[in-house]
Amino acid sequence: MSNLGQVLTLARWETKRSVALAGRNILPAAIILLILLGAATLISSQSGIHLQSNIYTVGTDDPEMAALLASDPRFTVYMGERFTLLRNRDAFDITVVRSAVYISATERGTAAAVALERVHDQYKNYLYSREEDLFAAYPLWIDLVPVMSELDFSAAESGTRVAAPPRRGPLTLPEGPVAFVPPPDPGIGMSVEDLRTGIIEAPDPALPIFRYTGYVSGSEATAPYKTPSQLSPPLPFDSIILVFMFIFPLYFIAQFFMMSIMNERIERQGEALLSAPVHPWVVICGKAIPYAIGMVIISAAIIIFIRGSPELILPLIPVMLFFLSSGLLIGLIARSFRELSFVSIFFSTCVTAYLFFPSIFANIHVISLISPLTLMVNSLQGEGFTAAEYVFSTSLFFVTSAVLFYAGATNFREERLFSHEPLTSKIIQFISSGISRAHPCASLFSLAMLTVPFVFMAQMMLLVLLFNLPMPLSLLLLLVAAAGVEEVAKSLGLYTIATRFPGFLTWKTLVAGSVVTALGFLVAEKLLLFVTISQIAESAFGTVLFSSLGLLYIPFLIHLAGILVTAAALKKGGPAAYLPGIMLATLVHCTCNLYLIRGWIW
Amino acid sequence: MVKGRHVSAVAKKDLRGLANEKTILFAILLQLFVAMFSSFLMVGLTAMYDPSSVAGYSRVQYPIGYSGVDSPLLEILESRSDLRVHQLELSTAVALLRDRQIAAVVYVPETAPEAEEPVKVSLFTIQNDIQTAVISQKIRESLITYEDYLRKVRSSRLSVEPTVLQFPETGANASFYEFVYGLLIPLLLFMPAIICAALVIDLITEEFQHHTLETLLATPVTFAEMVWGKVIACILLVPLQAGAWLVLLTANGIAIAGVPQILVHVLLASSALILLGALIALYYRERTAAQVIFSLAVVVLMIIVLAIPKNPFSSVVSLATGTSGPGEWGVLIVAAAVTAILCALTHLVASRNPV
Repeated sequence: MSNLGQVLTLARWETKRSVALAGRNILPAAIILLILLGAATLISSQSGIHLQSNIYTVGTDDPEMAALLASDPRFTVYMGERFTLLRNRDAFDITVVRSAVYISATERGTAAAVALERVHDQYKNYLYSREEDLFAAYPLWIDLVPVMSELDFSAAESGTRVAAPPRRGPLTLPEGPVAFVPPPDPGIGMSVEDLRTGIIEAPDPALPIFRYTGYVSGSEATAPYKTPSQLSPPLPFDSIILVFMFIFPLYFIAQFFMMSIMNERIERQGEALLSAPVHPWVVICGKAIPYAIGMVIISAAIIIFIRGSPELILPLIPVMLFFLSSGLLIGLIARSFRELSFVSIFFSTCVTAYLFFPSIFANIHVISLISPLTLMVNSLQGEGFTAAEYVFSTSLFFVTSAVLFYAGATNFREERLFSHEPLTSKIIQFISSGISRAHPCASLFSLAMLTVPFVFMAQMMLLVLLFNLPMPLSLLLLLVAAAGVEEVAKSLGLYTIATRFPGFLTWKTLVAGSVVTALGFLVAEKLLLFVTISQIAESAFGTVLFSSLGLLYIPFLIHLAGILVTAAALKKGGPAAYLPGIMLATLVHCTCNLYLIRGWIW
Repeated sequence: MVKGRHVSAVAKKDLRGLANEKTILFAILLQLFVAMFSSFLMVGLTAMYDPSSVAGYSRVQYPIGYSGVDSPLLEILESRSDLRVHQLELSTAVALLRDRQIAAVVYVPETAPEAEEPVKVSLFTIQNDIQTAVISQKIRESLITYEDYLRKVRSSRLSVEPTVLQFPETGANASFYEFVYGLLIPLLLFMPAIICAALVIDLITEEFQHHTLETLLATPVTFAEMVWGKVIACILLVPLQAGAWLVLLTANGIAIAGVPQILVHVLLASSALILLGALIALYYRERTAAQVIFSLAVVVLMIIVLAIPKNPFSSVVSLATGTSGPGEWGVLIVAAAVTAILCALTHLVASRNPV
């Protein structure tokens, strides 16, 4: 039988088994729960979400104001006579007497005032939008004109601060003729009623969750002109909804896959599968394919449901692969169900964060492109994405998934599947199967190369995390954290050797191992940089992360120094000296990097 | 009859297992991770919506271009200390914007303030740039002031006069109060409950699927004692984790009132959730099915519970903000009753012979 045929047979078995399991046990209860879910959503849409009920107290003498505020569940409203209220105004968060607002001097008072202002704005909008003369109620309309800046992506400042610091001093007027910009037409060119429905239907910016309904029904009002109060920065709620809609189903299916792998290991059930004359690759593909198909079907269904464009599936594919490959590895590593749960919850939180947080800035910053979700946000907003952007934001996912699948396949054998060892030693075992004793140098070289995509992912995460902190601090933290991540990744191979085959580690092999590790790391780093990161690499942050685009021997020496420090610590003090060794190596690495970039940062 | 000694022996065994596998470390890591990202979210979003909140920005002046006819908007913009207005010809202004010498360009047409037609102001900004978000927020405030001015000019044409509210100038900023107290705190405090309920499912189904149950029942420990031991081990973890959160939040300068009552609320709600998890695990005896059904059930429960005007989540919010009333005691009583019913149900199921 051909490999493909074997894969398909296994896939069929797997489907049969999981469908049988689902049909027998889960389906009836799941259907009842789904019906209940529908009912619950209905109830909640009737009564609203009661999370922040009655957190503010208001005293007022105006019945109209009292009625207005009572409609908002956040307020507890007390009606009273004017002077009594004023005398006791410390008892309330806000007191409204004869249109004057008194705010108690607490944090809650200030928050209550903000809430009151929003409610009042809504009320004004409600009245104004029903005015006969709309242009008296809304006399000012804003036409937003986006301008492309040539400096956009590559400007050194664009990655450095929340907002690039403006230049001081007088403007330098452009020399020679500038491109003529015709003055915009003062006319509005739209019927009054169209504008009016635009205002009435436009979601209130104070309640961003309403944009969600716009997405699902596919009829988001995109009025060409906005009133000043509608001008607010893009809110991240689209991304939250996207995560809920697309990523959670993927996560659930990955759980099934993880469990299917784990089940093979319980009570040596997978013995039969292992004794079959098929390659581990075939087994893994066969087991993974049904789940991958399930993921694609569910995602496609959601895309059809929200009437999105078919290209939305493209950014999801690397995410699916990543979920499946890591599910495979977690299923292979976990000792018990609780470990499986905790590791998978932890892991999926990390991945969700990696996907979600950059996409908050989808409309704002190029950094956001490191998450495939950003491509989806852009596509949903009708902008689409280019092939280059696709490569940029998905390549890390593709490469890491491939590495994880590879690690799973090489370790899919009896002594790994049925042993129960602590997490860290299991991981070390897994790595050790990648180290050949006949060609240790070649193994270390390729191992170092394979860790690079993970290092990039971790560093990207750090970049997103830290780029909001004030400038010198964020750079410094990034520098230290990035160096630490690199040192840990580089040391994995030598640490494995030191713990698994301690006799192998002589001073000579140590130096040789360090050299090939540093070399492998450098080669992979440059390769990956070349493909993907060039956009970010040009900002100041990129310089810190990948500080060595120009000369090659300097980064090599830095990498070598770091790994030598760790290796020497391991040789001298054994595994106990690993942590101090890493710290020292990080320090060395940072110092070198600081020296390198000093020239233009300070 | 359930013997306390046996129950505590099982509970100890499971807690020791957790400690050995260091799985609890992952739970704590998870909490820290979420906390880290929440703070990221806070800093990042605060900076986005209110740039002056980030130190060092308050004195920064953003240069902007103004072109078109003179209008009150020019004065409004010029009166702001954080904007520096340059009057420029439109084409030059846009060229300077492309060159990033100015942050935005405002163009005002010749429409008179009292005209029939609306005034259509064009706002040129750089696409795809974080600075645009900051600058639009600043210009927005000026535009709202200008809108109020225009409305006043045209007020004779309006049919209704909305009530006016006069807000005092406070300068204090509390834009994240609701986010922290109304969303973050309940979310973080109830996360341990969900984690622990998932844990009890793992602990119970593991005994079935690894066939360790027979061995366990050969000892003097009964099945019911085994179940209670596991439930209690999980319930014990809740105040630990929730307490850790309260400490972390307080360390971050978020004052939380009514901590003891909050812990009682969290404990009762988590106990109910853990018992529900145990019941589902006892029914399915298989991890995948039990976890899937439990996750679905949690979603349904959350939606229903949040639809009730007074619920454990809103109680925690009220208690944390210090606005709690007698309603919270009612919630507590109902939660206690539900937990008691689930206790009885669990005991009933666990008392039956499992084999």
